[in-house]
Amino acid sequence: MKKRLYLELENCIGCRSCLAACTQCGGHEERNRNYVYDVNPLVNRQTMPLMCLHCVNPACARSCPAQAIQIHETGAVLSALVEKCIGCQNCTIACPYGIPKFDTEQNLMYKCDLCIDRTKDGIPPMCASVCPSNTLQWLTDEEIEAKQKQFNLDNGKWVTSMPYLEGETNVKVNLPGILQGVTKLF
Amino acid sequence: MQSTIATTKKKERSINDAFASHFAKSMFLTVVGLFILTFIGTRMFTHVDLNLYGYMVGTIVFIGGFFYRFIAWGERPPTKIFIKKGLKLLFRKSTPKTAVNHLAIYDFIRNRGIYRWIQHILIGWGCVLACLVTFPLVFSWMYFTMEDNGYYTIVLFGMNVMHVKAEGIIAWLSYNALNIAAIMVTAGVVMALNRRLKNMQARAEQKFMYDFLPLYLLLFISITGLLLTFQNIVLHGWMQPQMSLIHQFSVIVTLIYLPFGKLAHIPFRPVSVFARNYREHYGEQQMKECKVCGDHFVSVEQSSDVIQVLGANEIDFNMQDGFNLAELCLPCRRKYRISRFSGFATHQVKVKEANQNAKG
Ligand code: SF4
Ligand code: SF4
Ligand code: SF4
Repeated sequence: MKKRLYLELENCIGCRSCLAACTQCGGHEERNRNYVYDVNPLVNRQTMPLMCLHCVNPACARSCPAQAIQIHETGAVLSALVEKCIGCQNCTIACPYGIPKFDTEQNLMYKCDLCIDRTKDGIPPMCASVCPSNTLQWLTDEEIEAKQKQFNLDNGKWVTSMPYLEGETNVKVNLPGILQGVTKLF
Repeated sequence: MQSTIATTKKKERSINDAFASHFAKSMFLTVVGLFILTFIGTRMFTHVDLNLYGYMVGTIVFIGGFFYRFIAWGERPPTKIFIKKGLKLLFRKSTPKTAVNHLAIYDFIRNRGIYRWIQHILIGWGCVLACLVTFPLVFSWMYFTMEDNGYYTIVLFGMNVMHVKAEGIIAWLSYNALNIAAIMVTAGVVMALNRRLKNMQARAEQKFMYDFLPLYLLLFISITGLLLTFQNIVLHGWMQPQMSLIHQFSVIVTLIYLPFGKLAHIPFRPVSVFARNYREHYGEQQMKECKVCGDHFVSVEQSSDVIQVLGANEIDFNMQDGFNLAELCLPCRRKYRISRFSGFATHQVKVKEANQNAKG
C-alpha cells in the first residue's frame, strides 16, 4: 500500500526530534536536511516543520545541469548523486521552498531524500517515525482523504496543499486547526 | 579533441546544413581529426601496429557514444548555460588552480572522506596513466625504435624525442607503466568493492548495472593486462595472443560502456570547473540582494539564469508580493513559506533562523 508523508503543521511542539532523527537516516552522514521554524518568534511559541515536499515537477531537478537529482520511482526527489553533482548550486536557487543545503568543502548538494532506503520498502521516514505530536505522519491516500473530510474547513478547502503551494507535491500538507480559529478534534 | 571543438564552433554556419545533426558533425570532425593525427604520427601510415587495431575501432565507437551522450546532455537548458558561459570564462586566472583541485587531486573528494579519496586517486590516476600510454601507441602517435647500441628511441608524432638506455630507469618505467597502472587500478577497485560489500549504506543503494559493472570491468582489464606480463615473463609467452585478445575485448567493452554508465562522471567532471568559474566570475561582478533581508546570497547572473531555465520548463515562481522566489535568500524563502502556511508574515520578523542543525 503506497503511503505518503503527511504534515499537520500546527501540531508541531518545536521539540526538533525530527531534526535529530533526520541525522540518523542512512546516507545522511549525521546531517539533518529538514527545518523547524518559529512562526512568530517574538510573540508566541508556535513552530512548524519544513522539509522537501517532493514536487511532482521538481524545480531543483529541472535546474540541475548535471542531472544529479534523480526522481525515484516512488516519486521521491533524491539528494544529489555524489559522482554527478558539479557544485553549481542552481538547485538551491531554484527550489521554491529553499530546501537543498550545500556543502562548500565537499562541493556537494544534499537534501531530504524522503529517507529513500526506508520508504522504498514502505517503512516510514525517520522524521515521521519519531514525531511525538503527530505533525509528521505516514499515511495512505485514503487516510489522507479521510483527514481532509474530517477537517472540512470552508467547504473542503485543503488550505496548504494545491493551489496554495507552487506546484503539485508528493508530500501532503495540512493545517486544519487552531491557526484558522477552528477547533480541532483528534 | 580541443581543436576539433574549436573548429566545430567556427564553421557552424557554413557547414551546418551538410550534416543531419550536431551529433553527425561532431562525430565526423573528430574522426577526421584522429585520422590526421594518426597520419602524421605514423609518418604516413608507415608505422601502424596491427595488434592494436581492435582498440582503434573501440575508440571510434567510444567517441560516437560519448558525443551522443554529451550532446543530448548539453541540449538541456541549464547545462547549455554552464557550457556556454564556462567556455567563455575558461581563461580566468584561477582556472589552472581550480582544474588541478577538481580534476587532478580531487580536494572535494578528500573532504567527502579519505577512503573514497584514496580510491579515486588510485583508480583515476591509474586509468590516466594507462590511457596516456595506450592511446598514443594505438594510433601510433608514439612508438619505440631499438638501435644497435643498446639505446631505445621514443618517437612521438614522428619526431625523435628521447634516447634512452635499454636498461635504464626511464626505459624500465616505460615498459612497466601499464603494469604500474594496472596495480593502482586493481588496488582502487578492491577498495571500492570492499566498501560496496561492507558498508550498509552502500549496500542499501547499489545496483548491479550501475555500481558494480564498471568496477568489474576495470578489474577485468587490469587483471588480464597483468596476466599478459606474467605470461611474458614466467610462461615465455604461452597463450599470450589469446590473452591479448581477451584484454583487448575487455577494453573495448569498457570504452563502449563508459559514456552511459557510472563512469560517465569522468568525462563530464570538467564542467565542475566551469561551474566554479561561473560562480566566481559573476559573483565578483554583482551580487543579488535578497528582496526581504538584503543579504547577498548569489550572483545576479545566476539568479536570472535559474529563473530563465525554470521558465523553459514552464515553472514560474513569481509571487503576488512582487518578487520571484529565486530572489529571496534561502532562510527568507523558507520563512516566506511558513508565512504562506500560517498567514503570519514570519519572513518580516527580524530574527535570524537558529537551531536548525541537529548534532547527530
Ligand atoms: S521542495 Fe524543493 S527540493 Fe523538494 S522537490 Fe521541490 S524543488 Fe526539489
Ligand atoms: S549543486 Fe549539484 S545537484 Fe544542485 S544543481 Fe548544481 S549540480 Fe545539480
Ligand atoms: S523524510 Fe527523511 S530525509 Fe526527509 S526530512 Fe524526514 S528524516 Fe529527513
